[in-house]
Amino acid sequence: MKSIPHRRSREVVAWLRKEDAEQKKRYRKIVQEQDALEPKRNKWVADFLERIQTRGTHIHYDQMRKVRPEEIPTKPKRKFRVVF
Amino acid sequence: MARPHIEPFVDRDVSFKKMTLPGFPKGMQYKMLSLDTDNGACSMTVLFEPGYKQPPGMSYTEYELFIMTGSITVGDKVYGPGSYFFVPAGVTIGALTSSRGATGLLFYNHGEPSFVESDSDHPRAERNRLATINAYDDLQWSSTNFFPATAPGCFVKILHFDPRTFGFTFLYCMTPNFWQDNISYHDCVEEAYHIWGTSWMMQFGDLPTGGYFYRPPYINHGAFGCKLGTLAIGRTDTQLYNHFHFNPWTNVEENRERAASRLLHRNPELYKWVNNHGHNHPVDFDFDHGHQHGDVPHHHGDGQVEHKHKKKPRRRR
Repeated sequence: MKSIPHRRSREVVAWLRKEDAEQKKRYRKIVQEQDALEPKRNKWVADFLERIQTRGTHIHYDQMRKVRPEEIPTKPKRKFRVVF
Repeated sequence: MARPHIEPFVDRDVSFKKMTLPGFPKGMQYKMLSLDTDNGACSMTVLFEPGYKQPPGMSYTEYELFIMTGSITVGDKVYGPGSYFFVPAGVTIGALTSSRGATGLLFYNHGEPSFVESDSDHPRAERNRLATINAYDDLQWSSTNFFPATAPGCFVKILHFDPRTFGFTFLYCMTPNFWQDNISYHDCVEEAYHIWGTSWMMQFGDLPTGGYFYRPPYINHGAFGCKLGTLAIGRTDTQLYNHFHFNPWTNVEENRERAASRLLHRNPELYKWVNNHGHNHPVDFDFDHGHQHGDVPHHHGDGQVEHKHKKKPRRRR
């Protein structure tokens, strides 16, 4: 029994509505901040793609393999989203 | 929508608010980390003010409480930092007080926060599932035993494990100079809060002390790094499987498709059965199960899986 059926009071419904509105605001702020991070992220991605060819990428625990240049993915034209 | 993707969020950036929901005594404050807008389930940082007093009582939904600073007293026992409670729905805990105050994390798993003063359990309570432990003193760090595993230098302590869903709550730490050069995603929801320390992810940047995320399935995260070490608490809703790859630009749909392909290759017989059998509510005979449309949860003790239910008579207009 994960939850026991019960009736929500008006106060609870109002509280949930308020928290929902605040969460939507919080989500929008996160998306904005993450969009602003894109130039830095692009640099981090470039560094990562370089490292996995030289030092390797983790496969399992301490097992790593070097990625061949032809395996490196190309950036798609669509927007690079990190928050969904 | 259930819970949105909240990542990253740092609770140090916002102030505590007074808990005003009916039933809760005065002196409890909270910061909302994430909220399921369908059922009210939520994760919060909470502050029990010095002198806080809560009578014996229960919640309508199961919840988990982790104490980060200060201490609380439940009944006649004092619980300090690292104390973890898993309290099933309807189970009454004794009077809770905090003479000097405390902060913690409070997770209401399947419904909105509720507190009902009561000296006895609800008739539907499952007291046998109540668990308390001190995660700092009573457990030791172990390597993650997932396969494929996270890189060396990430350790866990399992606080709670659900034998049906394989979802679990755990402390984890990253050692100083931990790094993992791959991108990961999971079939499960993953949620975490940094108790102390800063870690870095290629998508989101630094997550400092007080940093939090609620990440729905199939969302890329990593590569990872941690300069000075991190202590955090994490949760999943089902089994955590590390889907590792190195394409930074894949989206949720692509990752899900790839996970399904992996399932096909790892469990071909099961995949075929689920896909073709047409029986859309497989039964695990170890557990109660119920069906939609108000069917009462029930158990087939004989291990019968291929069962049929009587069709409800159609209403005549």
